[in-house]
Amino acid sequence: MEQSPEYVIEMLHITKEFPGIKANDDITLQLKKGEIHALLGENGAGKSTLMSVLFGMYQPEEGVIKKDGKVVTINNPNDATALHIGMVHQHFKLVDVFTVLDNIILGAEETKLGFIQKKNARKKVQELSDRYGLHVNLDAKIEDITVGMQQRVEILKMLYRDNEILIFDEPTAVLTPQEIEELMQIMKGLAKEGKSLLFISHKLNEIMEVSDRVTVLRKGKYIGTVETKDTTKEELSRMMVGRPVQLVVEKDEAKPTEPILEVEHFTVPSKIHKNNAVKDVSLTVRAGEIVCIAGIDGNGQTEFVYGLTGLERPSAGKVKLLGKDITHATIRERSLDGMSHIPEDRHKHGLVLDFTLEQNMVLQRYYEPKFQKGGFIKFGAVREYAEGLIEKFDVRSGQGPVTVARSMSGGNQQKAIIAREVDRDLPLIIAVQPTRGLDVGAIEFVHSQLVAARDAGKAILLVSLELEEVMSLSDRILVMYEGEIVGELDPKTTTVEELGLYMAGAKRNNGQEASAS
Amino acid sequence: MSFLIRETLVYAVPLMIVALAGVFAERSGIINLALEGIMIFGAFIGAFFIYEMQMNEVFVLQSGAANWGTMQMFVLLTMLVAGIAGAIFSLLLAFAAINLKADQTIGGTALNLLAPAFVLFFIRIIANQDDLRMYRGDAASWFMLKKSFFGLKEADGFFVNTFLNKVYITTYVCLLLFVLLSILLYKTKFGLRLRACGENPQAAASLGINVFHMRYAGVIISGFLAGMGGFVYALTTSNCVANGDVAGFGFLALAVMIFGNWKPLNIAGAALLFGLFKCMAASYSTLDLDGNGQYLLLNLSKDPVWGKILNANFYRLLPYLVSLIVLAFTSKKSRAPKAEGIPYDPGKR
Amino acid sequence: MKGFLKKSGTTSVLATLISILIGLVAGSVLILIVGIFDNKIGLSGAWDGIRLVFIGLFNTGRDASGVMTFGFNPANFGNMLFRAIPLILTGLSVALAYKTGLFNIGAAGQYLAGIAATLFVALEIPTTVVPAWIVWTLALLAGILAGALWGAIPGLLKAYLNINEVLACIMTNWIAANIVTWLFDLSNLKNVTEGTKTAYIYKTSFNGVETAKLGLDKVFAGSQVNAGILIAILFAIGVYILMTRTTFGFELKACGSNRHAARYAGIRDKQSIVFSMGLAGALAGAAASLYYLSGNPEFFWSTYQSLPAAGFNGIAVALLGACNPIAVIFTGIFMSMLQVIGSQITFLTPFNEYITDVIIAVIVYLSAFSLVIRMWISGRGKKKPVKPAKADAKKEVKA
Repeated sequence: MEQSPEYVIEMLHITKEFPGIKANDDITLQLKKGEIHALLGENGAGKSTLMSVLFGMYQPEEGVIKKDGKVVTINNPNDATALHIGMVHQHFKLVDVFTVLDNIILGAEETKLGFIQKKNARKKVQELSDRYGLHVNLDAKIEDITVGMQQRVEILKMLYRDNEILIFDEPTAVLTPQEIEELMQIMKGLAKEGKSLLFISHKLNEIMEVSDRVTVLRKGKYIGTVETKDTTKEELSRMMVGRPVQLVVEKDEAKPTEPILEVEHFTVPSKIHKNNAVKDVSLTVRAGEIVCIAGIDGNGQTEFVYGLTGLERPSAGKVKLLGKDITHATIRERSLDGMSHIPEDRHKHGLVLDFTLEQNMVLQRYYEPKFQKGGFIKFGAVREYAEGLIEKFDVRSGQGPVTVARSMSGGNQQKAIIAREVDRDLPLIIAVQPTRGLDVGAIEFVHSQLVAARDAGKAILLVSLELEEVMSLSDRILVMYEGEIVGELDPKTTTVEELGLYMAGAKRNNGQEASAS
Repeated sequence: MSFLIRETLVYAVPLMIVALAGVFAERSGIINLALEGIMIFGAFIGAFFIYEMQMNEVFVLQSGAANWGTMQMFVLLTMLVAGIAGAIFSLLLAFAAINLKADQTIGGTALNLLAPAFVLFFIRIIANQDDLRMYRGDAASWFMLKKSFFGLKEADGFFVNTFLNKVYITTYVCLLLFVLLSILLYKTKFGLRLRACGENPQAAASLGINVFHMRYAGVIISGFLAGMGGFVYALTTSNCVANGDVAGFGFLALAVMIFGNWKPLNIAGAALLFGLFKCMAASYSTLDLDGNGQYLLLNLSKDPVWGKILNANFYRLLPYLVSLIVLAFTSKKSRAPKAEGIPYDPGKR
Repeated sequence: MKGFLKKSGTTSVLATLISILIGLVAGSVLILIVGIFDNKIGLSGAWDGIRLVFIGLFNTGRDASGVMTFGFNPANFGNMLFRAIPLILTGLSVALAYKTGLFNIGAAGQYLAGIAATLFVALEIPTTVVPAWIVWTLALLAGILAGALWGAIPGLLKAYLNINEVLACIMTNWIAANIVTWLFDLSNLKNVTEGTKTAYIYKTSFNGVETAKLGLDKVFAGSQVNAGILIAILFAIGVYILMTRTTFGFELKACGSNRHAARYAGIRDKQSIVFSMGLAGALAGAAASLYYLSGNPEFFWSTYQSLPAAGFNGIAVALLGACNPIAVIFTGIFMSMLQVIGSQITFLTPFNEYITDVIIAVIVYLSAFSLVIRMWISGRGKKKPVKPAKADAKKEVKA
């Protein structure tokens, strides 16, 4: 305490290599006491690796870590905890069936003869939650509380361990706009109390609002550190991507023609709770337009798509594809009738990860006469077709058509799915979060493919959580909130703020029947 | 009635303790399909230990009642030995599943094949036949508790006749262990951490808990209980004979664990139910259900109509059939530890 | 593609050979330990045992002075081929299920179902009325059908009620063991003509039903070999074609690898699971049929206390062959060689046939982490993003 160094944590010239890739190349990050320091970069820029180094999960080949000016070695998460470093992970590290209190004390239990004593812990957690406004029911089970509440538990876990350096890894990805606002306040409050915060994100708005300084990484390299008040969103995004980013998708005016998909009073029961996940939804998608369903994750979009595509049974309502009733059709029948589906979860639904790329390319078409004769697969035709798609859509992989899908990068896996679905040349494409987890280049590619499909006269139903994507790609926006369509907006006239209000359920325009447009 | 309760407990108690063995492994995240094999191994080591001790006259039976205390010590010691043997045997599963991230189903199956093979190989060499019996005497005269030991008589009523006469001390040791270990699982730091490893090992690791150590602990406790349970089964149901087989008892225990939803109290209930079925299969012909000196089930099996179905074959079939049916009804609700069967990889987040 | 296949093929074969070697060494060590501690057996006895473990197939007995002699033994070879019949087929059963994401630990029960159906048909239809070859064919079909139906039960339970197939298979095994006992208990097929035997069923040859020998018994004199081995090999080729060349196999594999993706692609996932288990059961049923239809084996019908080893050995055969149907032919023959060796050991040394079961168990144990062995062979330098698919599959089951 004689001298107070300016930085609480310094990561100096960190280099971490994995076979074939330099995940961190000479990166320096310095965190001041009491500041909120943003770490900005795209997927794959090396943010996670850097944090894993700080947490002792990886050992860097080069570079040192200093705490309060002194060099420290961090060999495992315990060392990090001992140095009062705590982290809210992107995917929460919570035990679903435990209570909130059990989750908080886990690993730092107070015991008497081996038996857990919770009285003091409860008191301490209560004090902390009062002090920082982190109210949560300590006796509720994690699986019964909302994602926002779960995040509070994660923050309380760090505070309970008297952590001084708090890392937030993409904390807003799963939150509603209101919860994001609350989190921002909580973060500011923590900084005011003297905690030092590292805020990992790629969302420029949030970084501009909450952080004091920003460090930018790109492709494993250190780009620079700037004071937030001296910079702009445009400058940050240029630093992040390395070139001016085209935030607007270039496309012509939509020329919708005849209706392709007609949904009437569609209702789907929920698997999680007793209510319906989708309530009385009606909408129409026409040839030559992109209709986007916007909304915060978990408002029934997933179930709606499952119902439309036949993965789940609706309890009421009607679906028509090209005028034909397909409400109770099998998945294969829908496919034959002209529906293609870019699924939300590419690992769960999109790909058979242990199959080769070419097998995945014909996953929807292997039974067509083109690819089989008398029940025997025509391997030559499959190979030829897969090679064609790989070429046309620039799908990159180690061994071409025979690459096992599991070994491909996420971006190329997604490209393979999009290639497969777009190339089927069907009148309707249902695309659910088609750009999730992709880098900017891949996002641009996906967007251009969807626009091209639209211009070729396809009807496209897009489900997206990304406001920017919604605003730039769609021709019409329908907002889903708690299983209902609460508003229809025109992307040319609406604003992100207005859209946000609809998504949060604060506003609705029921007067305008969605399907009537 | 006393007989029915006693006999039910004879089957229910090993089921219960072996099901709890399954709980400790699965709650730590390892599927222990090898319970059957570990039981076989524990039964053999227990029987072999008794055989050796008798042969070398370490323990000698003297005029029944006089040294019953020593005989109980002998049983307790053998339980310990069988348990330790089971724990050591289960290390094979732990090593494959935890260190080598092997497929746990195949690993467990391998142990289920290894145990009878290994055990029979040695039994044949030791005994020159396919089962290993006690060196002298039988289980009842050596190890069974009788009310006369406590100076109690026939007239002492239902409680004495049911719980203090013609019973083995193993029953009570197992019940006590069952309670103590349930408390361990739910009320202690160790238990909390173990359960966390079976639900979300990444979370546990992020809080500085060594998932490898906890999983090893889970499997070793599991092996101990299953090995001990195997010996208890051999002692109480088949006169302390080891023959490389426990007739699917380990698998029934797995089923009991699933019906019990991985929770001790429910498991105790399920085990009693299955104990009853097993007891009916084993001794339906000597069950005097209403105490009138008539063996109702035996009479039924001799009935020209009912006997076609309600016979020995039926009662033997019953536990397995019932477990499949109960499984069909409970599987939707059952909630296995989330991370069970998935090798823990610290590099994955 | 060829280069890649070749490479992964070579590592698979190498991994298999290493597993076999470790298994044999483990068995030898066990024999050695017994030899050291048991004075009656001694090191020379142990040496006899160890030699038999490795080259017992070529043993021709002992000469007048009691020394073991070695050379070509046609009876051993023929019996190896004969005993390989059920092993190849149950191995195929487990392999087919495994390739479609299912662990068929129920081959034992399916095998029992096959035995019951086969024996009832083969013994109850009088060959005085119906030609023997028709009875033989019907009995084989009955065995296959019974196995298929019995295998479909855990399939149905998994597909429609989401019950883990491993547990369902275990329960159906024991149910089969009891039902089969019950059925034969009621039947009049119990062998009463040979009074020394209790609880055995007549041989099918009693009714004149026997698999053709096709002269194989001449080639391998003194053995039980018959055309069944050729049928088993045909089955293996059939399964290979089904799984690698047809759209049906494509559907089954897609379903096994990722049930959700298969469903998304319009494949009927529930039906696929039932089909997979049914086919697996059919193969196990065929194993039982061909074994008992050879005319000679007698079935011990009071089987309620134990399950036939054939079902579990199928697991070893399949895993050792990396679940490749063609490889299963060879691993099946290898396992049956171990069994022949087991009889030799029992016959010629103070040890017993269970040593081969120990060896088999060790090999299965090693195959649980064959991936590790394979990665070790292909060099640890490369970091492969591989993860066993079973883990995913299991997660779904429990979810």
